[in-house]
Amino acid sequence: MSDATPSGDWSRSAAAQRQYNLKGGAVLAAVGLLLLVWSFFLQNPVPLAVHAAIVIFIAVGIAISAGLLRVLNPQDVYGGLALILLSLTAFVASNDLPGMRGFAFGPGTAPRLFAFALAALSLAVVVGGLVTSGPIVSSYKIRGVIFIIGSILSFAAAIRPLGLVIASFATMVICAAAAEDVKWKETLIVAAFVTAFCSVLFPYGLALPFQLWPRFW
Amino acid sequence: MFDLIHNLWLGMSVAVTPTNIGLVLIGSIVGTLIGVLPGIGSLATIAMLLPITFGLPPVGALIMLAGIYYGAQYGGSTTSILVNIPGESSSVVTCLDGHEMAKRGRAGPALAIAAIGSFFAGCVATVLVAALGAPLTGLALLFGPAEYFSLMCLGLIFAVVLAKGSVLKALTMILTGLLLSMVGSDLETGAERMTWGIPELSDGIGFVVVGMGVFGFGEILRNLENPGAREIVNAAVTGLMPTLPDLKAAAGAIGRGTVIGSLLGILPGGGAIIASFAAYTLEKRVSKTPQNFGRGAIEGVAAPESANNAAAQTSFIPLLTLGIPPNPVMALMVGAMTIHGIVPGPQVMTKQPELFWGMIASMWIGNLMLIVINLPLVGIWVRLLRVPYRHLFPMIVIFCCIGVYSLNNAPFDVSMTAIFGIVGYWLVKHDFEPAPMILGFVLGPLMEENLRRAMLIARGDATVFLTRPISATLLAIALFLLVLAVLPTLRAKRDEVFTE
Repeated sequence: MSDATPSGDWSRSAAAQRQYNLKGGAVLAAVGLLLLVWSFFLQNPVPLAVHAAIVIFIAVGIAISAGLLRVLNPQDVYGGLALILLSLTAFVASNDLPGMRGFAFGPGTAPRLFAFALAALSLAVVVGGLVTSGPIVSSYKIRGVIFIIGSILSFAAAIRPLGLVIASFATMVICAAAAEDVKWKETLIVAAFVTAFCSVLFPYGLALPFQLWPRFW
Repeated sequence: MFDLIHNLWLGMSVAVTPTNIGLVLIGSIVGTLIGVLPGIGSLATIAMLLPITFGLPPVGALIMLAGIYYGAQYGGSTTSILVNIPGESSSVVTCLDGHEMAKRGRAGPALAIAAIGSFFAGCVATVLVAALGAPLTGLALLFGPAEYFSLMCLGLIFAVVLAKGSVLKALTMILTGLLLSMVGSDLETGAERMTWGIPELSDGIGFVVVGMGVFGFGEILRNLENPGAREIVNAAVTGLMPTLPDLKAAAGAIGRGTVIGSLLGILPGGGAIIASFAAYTLEKRVSKTPQNFGRGAIEGVAAPESANNAAAQTSFIPLLTLGIPPNPVMALMVGAMTIHGIVPGPQVMTKQPELFWGMIASMWIGNLMLIVINLPLVGIWVRLLRVPYRHLFPMIVIFCCIGVYSLNNAPFDVSMTAIFGIVGYWLVKHDFEPAPMILGFVLGPLMEENLRRAMLIARGDATVFLTRPISATLLAIALFLLVLAVLPTLRAKRDEVFTE
């Protein structure tokens, strides 16, 4: 599936990397802070250990942002920290679920078990990334993300009220903008063709319950 | 023996009705059509095409799915050979020699030998599934919750060992998958778990949603980064049929690949991948001319292709005997079965024999179809691969959107897929392998259920996993594999195999 390993770029200019750490650490700290605030609005009080972990997490985020922690392997450090954040979120989200009752598992036991294991292993990934150097996180193709994700979301938003024809045509056109070498004339023709194909195939050919046109039609 | 023939006969009589043959035919053509698209593996293909089987009767639907599955797999090898982009991890090895052969104008024989090898392996594995399926259901009786749990641990460890890159990071991916699978209603108490009060999440996150997002959309986002990277073989595909020396050279490789694939496929946790790697390595070892490997040796195509097909087929064994999906594709099959009201497990064979044996027989027919229809159609696939990517990916996106939407008629699912697309892209950026996550996600609910049951039966005594012999053995094997994977000498070798 992925034979090409993410670009083996190991260095980026020191200033750019500092910029990246500044932003990355700040984002992590901000999300951690949100999590902390949210944890105070739960029915049951969150265990002290979880609170402490979140606070430490925020502190690490700030330290990275301020350049106090040297990030030698950005992929591992940010990857591991994000997974720790995920497990902390799971701890907070499953806080109101009852745990062990005697020797029977409650609904909250397994999620917290997995979250704990995830946090422990991710911590090892982060520590590894702080002591050994590795490749940088290659930059994201923001154009692709915006248009592809935007087109999928617009499909989700349009399919019910506007029907299959408009939704799929619009999705195709928005999606095509993700490519740098987009050719609009060709794109419109392809989109029209595929829309026609889908409008015949799914509702008629496969008898799936699709609405073709807007409701008021 | 008599039973075996009788059963296969029953299967054949179900599978060869004109309607069902037609369904296999359509399934394998459409499966290949989608599977050929670069970056779309069999998982995304099946997920995308699942809706077209909804309106069919159960037997017909499963038969068509089998066709789609084999079509998708074959389509993946076609892309590997012609474009050097593996459709999925199990055809990574095929790229090595397959694409070399194509560059030398021998794309035809490479494609043909892949199909012939797959067909032969499929035949052997079909008989094996039929022969082993019935006795192995007896094994299910020996398995209590503790054994099931340990077996799934073993499967997950397998997935870790097979993932490329850091073992530690693969483990975190498994746990991420397990954690994600916890979202939704609790099986026993019905309590809403981590649903954030969103009603659509109370059924849990759909498997197709995660798979399509991470593998489908995530892959497109990654492909957009280097649009010019695809080098399609420009030499015309001429002389489809392999020559006699080709066949002679490949025969042994096909045989060995089939044996390795059949054995490794039974193991849970991505047997098809290790099977193709193992078969390739073995061929290189036994070959008199190992220096030809990587330079277009036909054995290097024949062995892994037969191995992964055999493994794909025998991976039905854990599903049918124990009800455990050994890989994400099988998990999707479980989903398809449940939609048609079939619960996979040992009871399918006894309660719905015509469905079970019909499916086995149709797998074989699916393989046959591929040989018959695909070799003449190679020219069309080549032309399809020439379509510029800027037109291909919007089509892939729209088909994925419609596919996901039609599962539950839920726009929410489509939006979730978009989120998992970003997650998939992010994972690649941080060098995390998504495959173990998907397997963890698939096995999560089953693991939790069996863990809870085992603990309840043992009255909270966690040593039960070590005191029951089968369970202890399975865990010991898992630990052994894990240790092997972290040992420095073997690590080096493993990395060598992956980078080769």
